[in-house]
Amino acid sequence: MNVAVFVKASLDPNMLRVDSSGKILVEDIPLAISEYDRNAVEEAIRIKEKHGGKVVAFSVLTWGPLQKRVREAEQVLREALAMGADEAYLLVDEALIPGNPYTTAEALAAMVRKVGQFDLYLTGEGSMDTLSFQVAARLGEALGIPAVSYARAIEVADGKARVTRDLEEHLETVEVSLPAVISVTGEINKPRLPTLLQIRRAFAKPLNKLSLADVGYTPPSGVVEIRDLKLLAVSRKNIMVEGSSLEEIASKLVDLLVKEGIVK
Amino acid sequence: MKVLLVAEKPGLLPELAGFLKDLGSKLGGVEAIAFTAAPSLDEAKKFTTYGFAKSYVAVAEQAFPDQLAKAVVEIIDKEGPDLVVGVATKMGNEVVARIAGAKGMPMFTEIVDVEAGDGAVLFHRAVLGGRAISVLKPALPAAATIPARKYEAPQPGEPGEVVEVKLPPSALSLVKVEKKEKGGINIEEAEIVVGVGRGFRKKEDLAMAEELANLLGGAVGCSRPIAADYHWLPEDAWIGISGKKIRPKLYIAIGISGAPQHMSAVMDAKVIVAVNKDKNAPVFQYTDYGVVADLYQFLPVFIQKLKEKLGG
Repeated sequence: MNVAVFVKASLDPNMLRVDSSGKILVEDIPLAISEYDRNAVEEAIRIKEKHGGKVVAFSVLTWGPLQKRVREAEQVLREALAMGADEAYLLVDEALIPGNPYTTAEALAAMVRKVGQFDLYLTGEGSMDTLSFQVAARLGEALGIPAVSYARAIEVADGKARVTRDLEEHLETVEVSLPAVISVTGEINKPRLPTLLQIRRAFAKPLNKLSLADVGYTPPSGVVEIRDLKLLAVSRKNIMVEGSSLEEIASKLVDLLVKEGIVK
Repeated sequence: MKVLLVAEKPGLLPELAGFLKDLGSKLGGVEAIAFTAAPSLDEAKKFTTYGFAKSYVAVAEQAFPDQLAKAVVEIIDKEGPDLVVGVATKMGNEVVARIAGAKGMPMFTEIVDVEAGDGAVLFHRAVLGGRAISVLKPALPAAATIPARKYEAPQPGEPGEVVEVKLPPSALSLVKVEKKEKGGINIEEAEIVVGVGRGFRKKEDLAMAEELANLLGGAVGCSRPIAADYHWLPEDAWIGISGKKIRPKLYIAIGISGAPQHMSAVMDAKVIVAVNKDKNAPVFQYTDYGVVADLYQFLPVFIQKLKEKLGG
């Protein structure tokens, strides 16, 4: 059972950098492995541990500046390797920066076609920076295979996967023939923390860099233009309710809620 | 501009029509066609009366995203819309993403606003854990999904033409469906929501939050660990990116640190109050009224004061 797992080097939403006008300083925000992609790597490794085979991690750099970011993207893939992936591929090309789910998914599909066939393709349900929830569905279309989203459980047997999809009101279990693309939720597992030794060993595992020319994909230009990226103007009052006793604070808070017309 | 609305169930057409009205007023008119799937044509027809030039209906008891997407792709090939718009339910996002993938279109998930004029559109999306807004200009044709329950239905008008379409088979087969465990009150509909987080030390202590919610006529929701890790509350009480999004009149975050994944789901609350003993907790960045206090000491006093006010 060979598993491809797609991981994104995402802007870390907990490390925002902003200038005085509220413009997001994208170039100063560190990249980190996207939260749910870590769950996808964990699931891929568990499937390998149970069924044998190998796990190959794929990533496309989607944030610039390219020179500075390549190392951060490699670091993200090294993390997947340290967790237990066997090999990794990174696609770096100016034409894919800044990324959007359309060109990213097409580029990932082109990478996979270049590298080889897999039984299962896993990724997180969405990336922690842009949360578009698109890549798995798009990969299904691009690779011409079934795609199943929002998995919180996956069982693999006899060339099929039984997947429990986490929808708003219910859990839906479906069966699908492999190969298939499956996106996972944060609830599917608890990702392992690699040991120091595993982190060191990850440096000996192959991490291959590819360009668009290598994979034979030419992205259309101007599909998505980012006009602006700014801090959400939070129109909150930001009042700290203070007082010399809890009674006083509580009374003040009740009065404020009355004034807001909420407590009547 | 020609817009194709995609509703995986007919009940979503009214809110899509609400979005269409907004878009139409910005663009000076739009032409709309609709797609939905329903157990019967009659069921669908109840919802196709919003001035759609044509409504395509797939008659099916149940459908998977791949089938719906394939059916819509055929309609797109026939109609050539400039925009394809669905609702950002999990199902809706998946269906529209498949359509966008098949047709080579950009897609904008859960747009919070749209600017339009001169035949062009700009979409606004919340990104970076809901803390930033990204303004994006797509090449058309493009696809988008709108937040669920955001747009109000316009007045229904004349029933338009309804065309039945066939659904192709799915690559998926259904094994079983389990209803998620339900709490008492739906937090998506409650006007006041009390959110509980890891500041609570044990399940029994949530009774304080329940009492507060009852006093205010509200419901209790929670952050991720309370539902996903501790299972103190059912998952339908979970507020967050992977849980529910709420837009109450008042949200009271108690013992919640304020991770972006949680706060982005309460951004639309009219008033936000937070109680946390850590004065540096990120939650205070997002609040109208903040109280730095130990919830175990503050809540009983606050509940008492509220009772006095409400009783008097």
